[in-house]
Amino acid sequence: MRRLIQILAFVLAGPAVAQVQGVELEEPVLMPAFAFSNELEENFTQDDLKDAWTLIMFGFLTCPDVCPFTLGNLEAAVAETGMRVRPDNVPQVVFISVDPERDAPWVSEYAKFFHPDFESFTGERAQINTLIEATDSFYRLMEPDADGYYEVQHTSSVSVIAPDGTLRAKLQPPFDPGLTAEFLARLQIAYRKEMTQ
Amino acid sequence: MKSLFAAALLSPTVAFADGLTVDTPMVPLAPANAVAHAAFMSLTNPTEDAQQIVGVSAEGYMMAHIHMSDIKNDIATMSAVDMIEVAAGQTITLQHGGLHIMLMRPMEAKAEGDIVAITLEFADGSTQAIDAEVMRMTHGM
Ligand SMILES: [Cu+2]
Repeated sequence: MRRLIQILAFVLAGPAVAQVQGVELEEPVLMPAFAFSNELEENFTQDDLKDAWTLIMFGFLTCPDVCPFTLGNLEAAVAETGMRVRPDNVPQVVFISVDPERDAPWVSEYAKFFHPDFESFTGERAQINTLIEATDSFYRLMEPDADGYYEVQHTSSVSVIAPDGTLRAKLQPPFDPGLTAEFLARLQIAYRKEMTQ
Repeated sequence: MKSLFAAALLSPTVAFADGLTVDTPMVPLAPANAVAHAAFMSLTNPTEDAQQIVGVSAEGYMMAHIHMSDIKNDIATMSAVDMIEVAAGQTITLQHGGLHIMLMRPMEAKAEGDIVAITLEFADGSTQAIDAEVMRMTHGM
């Protein structure tokens, strides 16, 4: 998180409540090669980052609270973003399960529940670790209990990848839809400015 | 007690029992194959004595536990909670980002409007039944 220095704070109207919905990276980070898939044999690789904005969330499917809440809010945030940016700049949303052992058989269905265009994938541990590291994210599988059940800790923020395949920002909880959309729209304006310079 | 009575009139989901007053118990609608659901509600202790919830169970699920979600330093965690103590007069809200009843391995998929029968178990051995409705969560309202 040391790179996440330049903070764009959006202040809620009303009382002095500062709610940070996103943090822009000081320097863009190029994403490495990676390959994920799902049980429908759909793939997600670094090539899918080209020419589109992408929001990547890490999680696991045995997650009854944080993961569904985040995806639900992202659905609302992306809908809001759609009212502020051109259709081809509406971000694609990708959920990566860091728990392939439990989730691989039906991972594709998860993100679709929140929006038909959302996609979810998982992959080999090495691939997961590659993308986790590249996005400065974190996860940990906890010790199984007597029933073999285990918890998974994971980064709560969402990585924002620009159409040039670079990580540009992190979205943070609570993912307020309006403020998140505002953050993404501003990020895109800054990006286009940079590209035309 | 007047406010509780008003709440009861407004909401068909308020359940009165000996122990706690339960308000808006709900289970967010989850993806069809989700192996874990959550139940949220608020619990008020109208009695003069603290009440300790030491266990939960739910019909139609293999297991149920009390869990606590937390997000700290950008890491989302979930951990089991052994006991919820509701002090006399206190309200504890099970909600996103905090406490929830973790419903593990549903025996069948749930649809909007389904009722999940949950039982709270107290330290004194008594129990309390709660009907939680499966509802689609709305975001960004
Ligand atoms: Cu839980």
